[in-house]
Amino acid sequence: MDYILSLIGPMVEGTAVTLQMFFVTIVLSLPLGLGLAMARISRFAALSGAVGVYIWLMRGTPLMLQLLFVYYGLPFIPYAGVTLPEFPAAAVAFVLNYAAYFAEIFRAGIQSIERGQYEGAKVLGMTYPQTMRRIVLPQVIKRVLPPVSNETITLVKDTSLIYVLAMNDLLRVTRSIVQRDFDLTPFMVAAVFYLAMTFVLTWMFEKMEKRYAVYDE
Amino acid sequence: MKKWIALALAAVLVVSLLAGCGAPAKKKIVVGLDDHFPPMGFRDDKNNIVGFDVDMAKEAAKRLGMEVEFKPIDWNSKEAELNGKRIDMLWNGLTITEKRKENILFSNAYMENKQIIVVAANSPLKTKASLAGKVVGVQDGSSSIEAVEKEAAVAKSFKELKKYPDNVAALMDLKAGRIDALVVDEIVGRYYIAKKAGEYAVLGENFGSEEYGVGLRKDDKDLHAKLQKVLDEMKKDGTSAKISQQWFGANIVK
Repeated sequence: MDYILSLIGPMVEGTAVTLQMFFVTIVLSLPLGLGLAMARISRFAALSGAVGVYIWLMRGTPLMLQLLFVYYGLPFIPYAGVTLPEFPAAAVAFVLNYAAYFAEIFRAGIQSIERGQYEGAKVLGMTYPQTMRRIVLPQVIKRVLPPVSNETITLVKDTSLIYVLAMNDLLRVTRSIVQRDFDLTPFMVAAVFYLAMTFVLTWMFEKMEKRYAVYDE
Repeated sequence: MKKWIALALAAVLVVSLLAGCGAPAKKKIVVGLDDHFPPMGFRDDKNNIVGFDVDMAKEAAKRLGMEVEFKPIDWNSKEAELNGKRIDMLWNGLTITEKRKENILFSNAYMENKQIIVVAANSPLKTKASLAGKVVGVQDGSSSIEAVEKEAAVAKSFKELKKYPDNVAALMDLKAGRIDALVVDEIVGRYYIAKKAGEYAVLGENFGSEEYGVGLRKDDKDLHAKLQKVLDEMKKDGTSAKISQQWFGANIVK
């Protein structure tokens, strides 16, 4: 028991890194994903096509490869190359990747709203942006909550990929302890940490789903 | 008159500030290490990076009049980290090998190390020859791989050379019976074996000895010369021996 207690300190430090990565990604990728979804269903074929290619690239290659590319690859690109420190590099890769998934979730949500509602809004004299904001998006939020909650929980665990940049997130801290003590107990403790984080998220999404249930007839 | 003096002083100040910006004397060195590599560099229970090499680097930096920062890296990416200038030195039980010399400028060797063969305590394997047809583990990106491959005939006789992300994973697998033997740096291997008394055995034969050195960027000749001087001094005045005594209970510095 004393041993487990001695693990808490370093693991809390690791959890802080995990949570920072998580929040930065969520806060930036959700709006970016929504923007991409709008662009994807746009009438302008060039825009829609470009976003289509982007989503294909981001979903079609491993997140770990994208991480390695942003961190190690970018500095060696002639002229445009930038050398990012590890946290910004990881954030760029995570945001770009998750935005692609969120874009597809939002697109599905938007396209699930019947055409009749757009026509109704038009009859009432609303413009396209007004229709989106007042009629379509509130319903979309309700419909996409379950898949968004899925992705969000996956993100908590995906953050552990930043170990390839040697960032000390929860899982890497745990691994260092296992390396030092040659004992597997820290992995169990880490599992409890992850479960606690996903429990809070699950609970929050349940509450949100109840709140948005008012849009049910 | 006073005004002129004040003006002149201000001008001197500005010029010296600008000069300071123009040619920043490098005051900090970033040492890259795998913080999963006890006892050379690892985390203590307060999550601080500690170890033999860490103490050596701190002492060397102090003598160089530079600050030192320890940056954990993924050991497989050490050359990219060094050449991408994210770190200035590799100081973490880095074995000097011909292959690595292509990308890394090494200091003189400061410690000798053997590549030992670890087996389960109850294993019937006793010699290198008995490893024929067996699965042998190594840490990926480590010099153990080169040491094994240097003895091509022996390496060829293995059923498989399995590469693990770290030595603990390999030792666990050795205990679970998925591999029959592990080739590992003696300094690291002995550290782990001591933690699990009676579970592992070390064979009499090994895969040769090698040397640890500090790795720098190829074009960093200036720092290389200064560091070598400091390392020589540390050896001469017994500081290295003292640090070695602290970590290994003996002076094993070369």
